[in-house]
Amino acid sequence: MKAVIMPGFSELIITVNPTGEVTREGLLNIIMPWLYAPWPDARGKGVIEMPVEGETLRALLVKLSERYKQANVDFEPIDPRTNDLDFDYDVLINGKRYEAIPHQLDARLGDDDEVKVKMLWRWDG
Amino acid sequence: MLDRSELIRYNRQLVIPELGEEGQRKLKRSHIVIAGIGGLGCASATYLTAAGIGRITIVDFDTVELSDLNRQILYWEEDIGEKKVAVAQRKLSKLNPAVEIIPIFAKITEENVLSLIDEAQVVVDGLDNLATRLVINSACVKRKIPYVYGGVSRLRGMLTTIIPGKTPCLACVYPEASKRGGGLGVLGVVPALIANLQALEAMKLVIGYSPSLAGRLLLFSGDDARFRVYDIKRNENCQVCSQTPRGKRPKNGGKDGRRNREAVYT
Repeated sequence: MKAVIMPGFSELIITVNPTGEVTREGLLNIIMPWLYAPWPDARGKGVIEMPVEGETLRALLVKLSERYKQANVDFEPIDPRTNDLDFDYDVLINGKRYEAIPHQLDARLGDDDEVKVKMLWRWDG
Repeated sequence: MLDRSELIRYNRQLVIPELGEEGQRKLKRSHIVIAGIGGLGCASATYLTAAGIGRITIVDFDTVELSDLNRQILYWEEDIGEKKVAVAQRKLSKLNPAVEIIPIFAKITEENVLSLIDEAQVVVDGLDNLATRLVINSACVKRKIPYVYGGVSRLRGMLTTIIPGKTPCLACVYPEASKRGGGLGVLGVVPALIANLQALEAMKLVIGYSPSLAGRLLLFSGDDARFRVYDIKRNENCQVCSQTPRGKRPKNGGKDGRRNREAVYT
């Protein structure tokens, strides 16, 4: 699949196999600039294209993790020990929360699906 | 002036060039508010007291429970059932009687927050939920008081220093209260670790030594003992710290639009 990635407000907004052009029109400025770390040349345009082998949410997140790891940034939405979504992240597909997504990480992504990957802050004390 | 007893008590830190006697006098004249005296607050309060902060206000509405004792080091079994602020005041005062500890048994709300933080030089986060943090954040921005955020879960922690008007505030990142990211459990050493870094940031602010984590987010993972620090930027359209008055914001469109606007496919 082709993933078109836009670092958003404080999350990644990813469109799968978009049938139209994806632009940043209407999006706020980013407040976590390090989300661009694997693609420094994309800062100007603000939109990144990334090929992914596979059709599932897991394949997408694994590929993202690989790219960030290469850039020396911790962005690992799948916990390698549990092989499930890490508690530091929230994932939504077309606005639906991760818990409500059938097959969760193994959900198949379709054309124009929008995936949001948000890093959560810590609130316990 | 520092008296003879103080010169002895603080000897090990007075010899640090970045602090010295002038820095110690600044600590002595300072007032820090610790919002919440749980896992984070107990540790930051202990070290700020030991360091000789002049006045520390501690705010909490809770009583000591057995399940607090794995991480809230100011409380012991004999304290169960007592107000946390009362126990904390008693023990912190024994640690350093020269420090004025002001206990306030209250829940922090939008109604009382300004009166709670009004005289503070720095507010240190010891809270356990986002909603109250957003209340504190908003009040600190309003009063231009630096706010040292800290948060923990399980073996992980986060920290940033918010300087109103200069750095992102908490609402830049999380404009609304979220139910996610809390209630996941905490190992006691993690809040202690984060709280001590918060205390360091607070002391640096007081003595005029540039805080290291202003506009930077520190992430700690105890899973692999790794610290990472990333820059974070202000949200120019933040509802709390933006200079643009709410009424003058455009209702739609363009980069000046409000949050949550989606991508457009053409």
